[in-house]
Amino acid sequence: MTLSLDALRSCFEGIVPATIATCATDGTPNVALLSQVHYIDNRHVALSFQFFNKTRQNILANPYALVSVIDPDTAVHYQFGLRYLRTETEGALFENMKAKLAGIASHTGMSKVFRLLGSDVYEVLSIACDSTAVQPSCATQKRAFASLRSCTQKLAQCGELSVLLDETLDSLAEHFAIRHSMLLMLDEQGERLFTVASRGYDKSGVGSEILLGDGIIGVAARERTPIRIGHMTSEYLYGRTVREQMLHGGEHGEVETEIPLPGLAEPHSQLAVPINRGKRLLGALYVESPDDMRFTYEDEDALVVIANQLALCIELLGQVTEEQCSKSDTTPTSAAASGTPLVIRHYPSDGSVFIDEAYLIKGVAGAIIWKLLRDTVNGRRNEFTNRELRLDPTLRLPDIGDNLEARLILLQRRLAERSEYIRLEKTGRGRFHLILQRPVQLIEMP
Amino acid sequence: MTKPDANPPLLTERNARFICSEVSINIAGRNARNFPSLARAYGCRVSADRRQITVFLPIARSESVLRDIREIGAIAAVFTRPSTNESIQIKGGDAKIVALQSGDRLVMQEYGRIFVCDINSIGYRNPFASAMMRAVAEESVAVVFTPDAAFEQTPGPGAGKRLTP
Repeated sequence: MTLSLDALRSCFEGIVPATIATCATDGTPNVALLSQVHYIDNRHVALSFQFFNKTRQNILANPYALVSVIDPDTAVHYQFGLRYLRTETEGALFENMKAKLAGIASHTGMSKVFRLLGSDVYEVLSIACDSTAVQPSCATQKRAFASLRSCTQKLAQCGELSVLLDETLDSLAEHFAIRHSMLLMLDEQGERLFTVASRGYDKSGVGSEILLGDGIIGVAARERTPIRIGHMTSEYLYGRTVREQMLHGGEHGEVETEIPLPGLAEPHSQLAVPINRGKRLLGALYVESPDDMRFTYEDEDALVVIANQLALCIELLGQVTEEQCSKSDTTPTSAAASGTPLVIRHYPSDGSVFIDEAYLIKGVAGAIIWKLLRDTVNGRRNEFTNRELRLDPTLRLPDIGDNLEARLILLQRRLAERSEYIRLEKTGRGRFHLILQRPVQLIEMP
Repeated sequence: MTKPDANPPLLTERNARFICSEVSINIAGRNARNFPSLARAYGCRVSADRRQITVFLPIARSESVLRDIREIGAIAAVFTRPSTNESIQIKGGDAKIVALQSGDRLVMQEYGRIFVCDINSIGYRNPFASAMMRAVAEESVAVVFTPDAAFEQTPGPGAGKRLTP
């Protein structure tokens, strides 16, 4: 039987601790338990370097090691002959292992003890197994393929970004039984991710933001690498971030201008996958679960494939929108509404907009809704195009099609959640209506 | 009144009890080119004077370690209680392969039974329990060695500390 590292990835989930044997130059062997064996590719693994111990001394002097792992499904032991290559102390591999180790440490009561100093990269020289009777199971992979096929077929049929975002999360629930998920897009400055869709939470959290580098989603996005944690760890909980955001408040005294991030209070499994198009980061896909070890390597593979398709679809839909926009016209119409006027305030300092004292949105989306409201109230029209927003010098939008569309989706969803009387409705590709069912009074704040 | 032992065994009574309890036992050897070898042992016996440790290895699962021990005799053994991570490592330079003595098979079986209880308590059930009980029934040999160094190996700042009598 020829053993492939790919087929043995479940042995690296940390369910059963691994063991490493090394040898000092004076010929004294050493054997120790390992917290983490990380699969890199079919010829390389990385081991966590946490302490300057004998194992560490030995591999720096004599680079050959033997690692034993146990398949959690079959209890078969596998041994890998390894040769130490290098240590990485930053970047995607390091951040990935750091996050995973935080989960393992928390699960094993070692939070104060385990700290990743480096990721030791090894070449796999040989693989042996203590049983010829058991083959690694392919059943899980086969199931994942079928789910992936159904999921990608649905995504390929989406003709609009908002449908694509919703379909992605719905497909994860339907085909992968992933009930808690979010999709975030990168902002115009490339500094923050903002939530455009979510599933499985009391409040959608649409419009909530995460700084690049903050928590598992922010780190996965910054490092352009998927990160998967199988146990709850306070280090990667967003509860704290949300609390800090709450404490800082807004620029308007007691008024809250942060939208709380949705999410489980205590996720036991987390998986964040960046959405990349070439080298460009578009956003992030995040899933979580209240159960330990919920997501496998196969789930990670599947979500990476889905994120790649999502990136392609986002780009294609952006191009289509642009073509259609250039052919469209704007049609002046007047808003007909009755009742008590809604008081809408705009704070130019951060673009935040409030409807009758309730926070709606800020930043680019805030500036957009303020422009749409002004144009509508001034009686000019209530139909708009993406193209004119992009060209409007007061909005200062960068020329990235998919991002504007994402902002409009965010705005549309925030309006739907926050007001019964103001709606954004699409009227075609790159065209939309602002519908006011009550008169509005616009107040520009100093 | 008994005189204190001028040359006490490296293995304290407590550690002797520990390594014969429900601990996972991993054995490393090395060949002439300083390549390590590794195998799991299934049970342990300590001599009455605590100066010799005997571990039991199923032959088919331990070929490279047994070959290295036969040729070189260097050995390292780490003993870890799965439910607590408590670990010690013991090293020796005179390891020898000997046949199982009468009663050793019973020691292996009892070891398997108590080890399964410990891993059951932290959520490992089948296939681990059945794999353990299969291994302790396989054709095995004993490896006996004199401890010449022992180290604390419970994860944490004390890991690596040399243990003294």
